[in-house]
Amino acid sequence: MTCPVCAYGKLPYPPQDYNICPCCSTEFGNDDAIYSHRQLLGMWIAGGANWFFGKAPENWNPWMQLLNAGLGTYVPKPFLDLRLHTNASVYAGAGSFAPDFEANHIKDVSIALAA
Amino acid sequence: MLKLYVCVACEKVIIDQDGVASLIGLFNKLSLTPPKDQEVPKNAVAPKEWAVFSAWDSEPGDELKEHIFCIQMFYPDKSQFGEVFKNKMNVELNKRSQVKTVIPGFPVGQTGSYTVRTWIEENNKMVAGPIEFKMEVEILKPAPVQN
Repeated sequence: MTCPVCAYGKLPYPPQDYNICPCCSTEFGNDDAIYSHRQLLGMWIAGGANWFFGKAPENWNPWMQLLNAGLGTYVPKPFLDLRLHTNASVYAGAGSFAPDFEANHIKDVSIALAA
Repeated sequence: MLKLYVCVACEKVIIDQDGVASLIGLFNKLSLTPPKDQEVPKNAVAPKEWAVFSAWDSEPGDELKEHIFCIQMFYPDKSQFGEVFKNKMNVELNKRSQVKTVIPGFPVGQTGSYTVRTWIEENNKMVAGPIEFKMEVEILKPAPVQN
């Protein structure tokens, strides 16, 4: 079961009957009787998007949780400008590119053969 | 057994109806400029979609098995970022297999060299790989405001 507020995907109980999400702390039937799920999401993010109950799952990241749920518009952008650099490496198992393989924008790309 | 043909990170992968892959914007470095006097949080993720594309040569019999392509990312301090991304592969007889995994964000909480590790699993056991490549994250200083 997924939390309808923060998109945590392993809710131990259904989001109802005063159960509480261990991730965002929403108490279903109480908090969401007052605020909409989107408002609660906004409040959780404004508070730092921290894990609520006990220790967070290993490698848990609140922003990836939101991105994986298609809620990327709620993820804060910690930058004014983001650039990708195309000096990329291509790891090829054998030989060079086959004719059925196209790559665009690969100026300065180095090709490395895998062991 | 599957053998690696190519593995690469790019902004976008378009696979046409004939299965021809176009790799758009290969990259191995991200640079970002935070707002003045603001630090990038340690768990920050840039909401920028990207993809890992890989192609594999198969042997007869591989098409009968279920293969899962896995991606794991590590911060420069070697701690793991997020969960392992898993993607089911479609392996056909006498055909190069390709798999595109779209990742909705890129970690930017640390500067330096991130490791992307990929491998293939069969029955939860690694049967090909791991293949690793590096992605660089650079945090630039904001330009001073000119009056």
